Order: sequence, then structure tokens, then C-alpha cells
Amino acid sequence: MSVRQYAFLIALSVLLLVLVAIFFKCGEEKKLIPEPVTQMLDSEEISGEESETKKVFLFFLAEEDDLLHAEVREIQADAVLILQAKLVIRELIKGSRNEGISPIPVKTKLRELFITDEGIAFVDFSKEIQENQFFGSAGEIAAVFSIVNTLTYNFKSIKRVFILIEGREKETLGGHIDLKRPLLPRFDLAANLPGSG
Amino acid sequence: MQNFKRAFVFIILLSPGILFLQDISNLKISIKDTDDSSRIILASSKNLSTSIEKSGSFIMVRIRADLPYKIQRRSFNSRYIESLGWSRGAGYYILNIKTSLAKFSYVSSTLKAPYRLIIDIIPEGTGKREKGEIIVESNSNAYSDSNKVDIDQGLKTIIIDPGHGGLESGAKGKFGTLEKEITLDISLKLKEIIERNLAYRVVLTRDKDIAVSLENRAAKANNNRAFVFISIHANGFFRKEARGSETYFLNLNATDEEARRLAYLENNSSELNTVEGENEDDIKMILWDMAQAAYLTQSSQLAELIQNELNTLLGTLNRGVKQAPFKVLTGVACPAVLVEVAFISNPDEERKLMKSEFQNMIALAVYRGLTNFLKLNL
Repeated sequence: MSVRQYAFLIALSVLLLVLVAIFFKCGEEKKLIPEPVTQMLDSEEISGEESETKKVFLFFLAEEDDLLHAEVREIQADAVLILQAKLVIRELIKGSRNEGISPIPVKTKLRELFITDEGIAFVDFSKEIQENQFFGSAGEIAAVFSIVNTLTYNFKSIKRVFILIEGREKETLGGHIDLKRPLLPRFDLAANLPGSG
Repeated sequence: MQNFKRAFVFIILLSPGILFLQDISNLKISIKDTDDSSRIILASSKNLSTSIEKSGSFIMVRIRADLPYKIQRRSFNSRYIESLGWSRGAGYYILNIKTSLAKFSYVSSTLKAPYRLIIDIIPEGTGKREKGEIIVESNSNAYSDSNKVDIDQGLKTIIIDPGHGGLESGAKGKFGTLEKEITLDISLKLKEIIERNLAYRVVLTRDKDIAVSLENRAAKANNNRAFVFISIHANGFFRKEARGSETYFLNLNATDEEARRLAYLENNSSELNTVEGENEDDIKMILWDMAQAAYLTQSSQLAELIQNELNTLLGTLNRGVKQAPFKVLTGVACPAVLVEVAFISNPDEERKLMKSEFQNMIALAVYRGLTNFLKLNL
């Protein structure tokens, strides 16, 4: 092999390394784009507020039975769908304001949420969502469908919900309900289904 | 120099592709005929975890795959192999081998470095063939067919599945009772009652405190060609007042369109093997992934019969027969139910569940429900 050929090979490998570096660097930068902040409105604010608001319903458990009960919140209606959906899930994790029981551990964090064109919402939770000693199947069904029902009930374009944990597909939350496929809502588990406004 | 420039541009254009390709393993199939058999060799750059099932004139090879494989198809001519079909599900592929034989046997073996799975298809009546010296090992997990038990004893098999186990202890009671302990106690009692009274073989998915994955529980049922699958659980809920017994069978949680396709299967479960053409692969995949879909009517009947006996014998609150998408039930290819015997999160019921007599009553109730089901389904 001539000197020129060697030089050429070395130049080529350097170039490849640079390309690889650029490739990965680009990936990192994407994550740094800040996420716009949307706030949950308090009920007092709403009356005087001019900007459009919309009622949403979160599904919690109640003291009197084993069903999911819809609890109302108001959110800004002008935010994009994905932000509204994130907001609703964060609010669901925070828990009930009227002595309802939240089937999702309060330490759980929403890591990511995105919605596909087919209407499947992928909701990625932190591992805390599994840390619940009440996960017999009744408890697990309540936890899973409080999430699925809340998203599908409030957003018509969400048809099914795929629950992820720490960015990965997980078989179940606690050994019962299949999370390896997107779930349709179960409104038969709800005590009330108020009309949204 | 012009040539160098061209090569240079070419390599730069290719390089991202080369980086990407490193993650994809190849699956290559070759088919050869010998004097008395047809041989399929499935070669891969990675070791595969596979299970093989023979059904009618088909052989189905299930290949576990966490990452996608690049499948190399090739046309072929073979005496005993008519066609090959690939389909893909969550975490696995299925290779459907259609033979031209109504009656045949097969011998499978694996070779390593590079990995090869070899399946010989032998028409019946050509005399027995010994497994060759090429057998290096058989995979020990549930995807392999090595744990297939000899079931030619004339006894049908009932699978009892004690919920949870190992680190995964399930729901927990106020007095510290763990769901995994209760489910095992009841399951062992149920096994004893069935074996004492009925001419059935009983297989437990676990008989000690160990973790068994939900897929492996279903696999154990299918590998044993189970006649009935009963999963035993104790319930847990956020309100300690929640109490009672309930029996579940699978809810497909499918859209109307999917449900329609799956319902079709229920009346035509033999079609699982005769759906033809590449376009049908996706449908077939859904079906195999949700084998339970073909048994929902029987499963609901079994659930009703067990639930009736639980009410009669236990005097617990009747929460009825329910449906939910339980992971453990989806892949089971026989009537299957999940019994939530009582609430471990309810202190009164937890206390009862700790008692051997109460566990015996539960086992007896499930046994009676099962017997009624067997009477109707023989």
C-alpha cells in the first residue's frame, strides 16, 4: 500500500469518528429544548379569567365503593393537546381534592407523554408507580384504569393508552393487568360520567 | 484520484447505515431434502431462545426477540415443506412451517457458534429415527420444548397457578400475610383434592416460593396441553372495607374490529393452523399472542361455576364473575380463570385466609366448580 493510501485510510477513520460524534451530539441537544409551562388554574381565578378554559375529569376512588369517581378540574383550553394531557396526568398523580383516594402513589413522576397518529397515548411513569402495597388485582385495576379512563375520557383523539415505566414496556404494575398492549378505557368501572364542558 | 473520491463519498454515505446495522441480527433459513426427510436450518448471528409446536400439518417455531431481526427469505423447493410464513409479535417472531404431510414427526436440535436450529421433518411410516449426535443442548427456559412432559398417560392435565412468588409477593395484609403464601397454600390443597378424587394430572406453575414469569406460567399450561387453567389469587384494595370473592376470565380489551376477528376464531379454533398467505400473518400473530381468545365462552362458564361454589361454601360477599385483561391468562390455550378468593387487605378476611380450614373450604369450592365444569365439557 502506498503512503497516499495510508493517509487516505487515516483521514477516512478520523472523518468517521467526527461523524459519530456529531451524530450523538445532535441527539443530546434535542433533549435540551425547554418545555413550555402550562398551569393548572384555581377555581377562583377562572371566574374573572378571559382566556378560554375547559373542564376535565380525573378518576379517583372514593370511600363509599370500589368504583372510579370523576372529579372536575379546569385547565386552559388553548394549550396544545399533549400539554393538556400531561397536565391532567400530573394532576391525577397529585390526588383528589375531595377526600377521594388516589390509586397512584403520590411520589410517582410523569416522565414523558406522547400521542401517536393512531390515537395511542404513551405515558411513561417513574418506577414509584409500582410501589404500592395495595396492588391486589382490584387495586391494580383501579390504578391502571384511573389513568386510561382519565386520558380517554377527556381527550377524544386519545383512543388507547400504553403505560410505560422508566421508559420501558413493563409486563404489569403488580402481577395482574397486561401492560404490553395499549389499553382501551373501562368506563364500566366508573361511578359517574359527567358531561365535559 | 477520481476513483478515490468516489469511494470516499460512497463510504461517507454508507457510514450511518453501517453504524445502525450493527444492532440488527440476521435470521437465515435454508431448506434441504435428504432421503427420508426435509431439513430446515434456522441460522442466526445470535443465540436464539425458541419453542416448537406441532399442530396438524404445521410446525410453529416461536423465537424470542427483544430486538428486531433481519429475516432473509429465499425461495425453495422441498418435498415435505410447502411454505414458510413469518409473523411478529411483541418480543418474538413466529415461523410457521407448512408441511405437505398429514402425519409426520419432527426432530429438533441446536448447534452453537454460529447458532443454528435444525428441524428435520419426517413423514410417518419411514421408521423411527434416532436423534443425531448433533444435539448439543436444549434451552432450559419455557420457550424451549424441553420441559414438555410426556402426556401420553391417558390423563388430562389441570394447571393450578399460585399467584405471585419470590420477590414478587403480591398484596400484603395488615397482619403481614403475603398474597404469595396464601395462594400457594390454597393451590397445594386444591391439587391434593383433585388428585384424590379425579383421574386428572395436576401440575402447579410453582410449588415453592419462587418467582415465575407470567409468560412462563402460560407456557407451562400450553406445553402440558392443559385441559383447564386455574390461577389462585388473594385480592388487595385501597379501602380496607373491600371484601368478598370474585372470579375473572380474560377481557380482550380489544376494539370492535379486533374483537370481531378474535370472535371468529372462537368458533374456528382449528383455523389457527390453516390461515394461509403472508397477508394473514398479522392476524395469526394476534391470535397466537392471545390464544385465550379462542376459549372465552368456556372460560366464562368455568368462572360462573367456580364463583357459584365460592358463594355457597364460603359465605363471603359475592362480587360475581368479572372480566379484565390479566396478563397471565392471555396466552393460555385452554379454558382459564383467575380466582380472587378474598381480600387480604381486609383485616377480617385476612384473618380467615390465614386459617387452614378456610383455605380448605376455598380449595373445595374451586374443586366443586371445576368438577361441574368437567361434567359439562367431556
